[in-house]
Amino acid sequence: MTWLLPSALIIGGIAALAAVAVHFVARRRPMAEPFPTARFIPRRASQARVTTLAFSDLALLLLRMFAIAAIALGVAAPEFAGARGRVTRIIVVDRSRAVGDPRAARDSVRPLARSGDIIIAFDSTARMVSAVDTAPDGARGSISAGLAAAERAAAAVSASADSVELILVSAFTNEETDSATTHIRAAWPGRARLIALPPARAASWRPGVVVHASTGDALRAGLALAGLVRDTGAVHIERSEVAPADSAWARQPGNVLVHWPAGAGDARWPARPTVDAIGGVATSDGTTLVGRFPRVWRPLGTPVARWADGEVAAGETRSGGGCLRDVGILIDPASDLTLRPSFRSFATALLGPCGGTRDSAPIDSTSMAILAGAGPLASASSLAENAGVSSPSSAWFILVGAGLLILELALRRPARRAVA
Amino acid sequence: MNGTAYGALLDAVRGVHWPARRHVGGGLPGAHPSTLRGSSSEFSEYRVYRQGDDPRRVDWRLLARSDRAYIRVATDRAVLPTTIVLDTSASMAFPVVTRTKWTLAQEIAVGLAAVAHAGGDAVGCVLRDERGGVCVLPPRSRRDAVNEIARVVAAADPDGDAALTPMLALARTPRLAIVTDLLGDADALLRAARARIAAGGDVHLVHAIAREEIDPPARTILAEDPEAPIVQRMLNERTRREYDEAFGAWRAEMARQWRAAGAAYVEIMTDEPAAHAVRRIAEPR
Repeated sequence: MTWLLPSALIIGGIAALAAVAVHFVARRRPMAEPFPTARFIPRRASQARVTTLAFSDLALLLLRMFAIAAIALGVAAPEFAGARGRVTRIIVVDRSRAVGDPRAARDSVRPLARSGDIIIAFDSTARMVSAVDTAPDGARGSISAGLAAAERAAAAVSASADSVELILVSAFTNEETDSATTHIRAAWPGRARLIALPPARAASWRPGVVVHASTGDALRAGLALAGLVRDTGAVHIERSEVAPADSAWARQPGNVLVHWPAGAGDARWPARPTVDAIGGVATSDGTTLVGRFPRVWRPLGTPVARWADGEVAAGETRSGGGCLRDVGILIDPASDLTLRPSFRSFATALLGPCGGTRDSAPIDSTSMAILAGAGPLASASSLAENAGVSSPSSAWFILVGAGLLILELALRRPARRAVA
Repeated sequence: MNGTAYGALLDAVRGVHWPARRHVGGGLPGAHPSTLRGSSSEFSEYRVYRQGDDPRRVDWRLLARSDRAYIRVATDRAVLPTTIVLDTSASMAFPVVTRTKWTLAQEIAVGLAAVAHAGGDAVGCVLRDERGGVCVLPPRSRRDAVNEIARVVAAADPDGDAALTPMLALARTPRLAIVTDLLGDADALLRAARARIAAGGDVHLVHAIAREEIDPPARTILAEDPEAPIVQRMLNERTRREYDEAFGAWRAEMARQWRAAGAAYVEIMTDEPAAHAVRRIAEPR
């Protein structure tokens, strides 16, 4: 028998000892005794208490101790399962755009996976799969998401295994890590096996921006001032409604069609219930633009910019090899907002390649060492505790404890009535 | 239960006299000095004959010698009907286990009845019976009067907080012996006793006190008045001295007031033999 929270037994023992101590040294009101001349006793003493060391109410004491013990056992969560004697593997596989050849990932996983093992595929999100997909959808990868999913899955397999081996199959590029990665990895109580996949080569990026807008358009003026406007380029900005030809162009690999309406009638996106104004907008990488912006639409797709209150201001939708980017930020043509340096930074961040700027460089050796960890494999019990797994018998123990406490109340009340 | 249950007590009080504390009024010939002067054989004095006196009481020999008419005056003796009023309130059943105060009160009541009956006086009893009703035994001088009183007293069970004063009105005899702990309607009882004494009655107040009331146990007690459970006081080492002072002052004040009213006040304690207490009550000197 093992305990999911052995410290609860120690706390329960201390509580039981405290109950005994309180029982012996309780200051309580003695039982009232008939005394005909009670009227001659000073009234001020009527509320006094007396300290008793008498070993009285043994049944009550035992009841309290049993109640505490039952609750402590319930919280400690005993595990009566027999020996498991096996190692379960959790294989976390990268299926993001960072992986150069999805087949390599599949081939790496195949010899590792056994019956009962868990395979988790991740890009920006993670989910358990039965087999690794062959075609990544181009989403950015997040090792943090994969690790978090692995820890959740470990709780489920901990009941049928002694140890859990974590295997990370990934390209391990910089864009797949974030500030939470090391913290989430530290929550895994054991070493991990790392299998590196060849990273994808970063596609050539042509930074030129072509703006389809009327003469004197404020956005064009601002981008021209920033030196971004070209005659040809991978980014087209459409200020009026998008034509079918534009959509077809956006399907070409690496092309980005940015639909950035000049006015409220230049887009047919879902409208907001009410039109209001807000004072700022920020891109996904944190570049902000402060101004007064009316909010008319709710753009669809993966958010690439959000208003100050978190609502989506711009969204991106994959289209063939390229993408469509809907920017619902209306700019007052009479303002000088586009001429400010802050706008140049904002526009540069917003007009990046599909899926954002890639960082395909491999993570440094220190980070790799942190991901690999050291020591033995993670024990199933420690993973169960971390995952908050409860013992099936916990509920029964706590139920018994609650019942004993109710019984204790029933036993204690008659004594109080006798004093009152 | 009858007088046989009190056999030892009755034996112990045999020969004890309970004289009247003042001359009694007219009545059947008895053992107590009467306020009447008559023609009994117990010569007292001569008195000059006055018109209306019975000529048969004129001492003719003295008239022959002194040529003056005198009549012989003799002291009459009369019976003194007595009623024992017994307090059966809950405070008398103390201590709860031994009930020594109640036992002593029972014995005092029976003992006084026996002493009065032995002196030729009719004796009765007033108390609340075990059902809470008032039981009045009118004064009788017949042989089984004491047995009847003993039976009624033994059957009573102290309970409740009924006042004692109304029972005084049911006792119409010139002599009253009230056996109580005075923890009920003491003031009203004193007023009623004053009225009886002013009317020529003879009132004996037997104040029953348990030794445990004078000297409570040393442990801490949450004391509850059995006749007023709302009164709960903590008796411990801090309050004991004040309790002793207050209780002592109250007892002294009760004794002073009853004696000032003209009653015979006797305090009896549970550790005193009943026969001894009866003797103290009947023969105070």
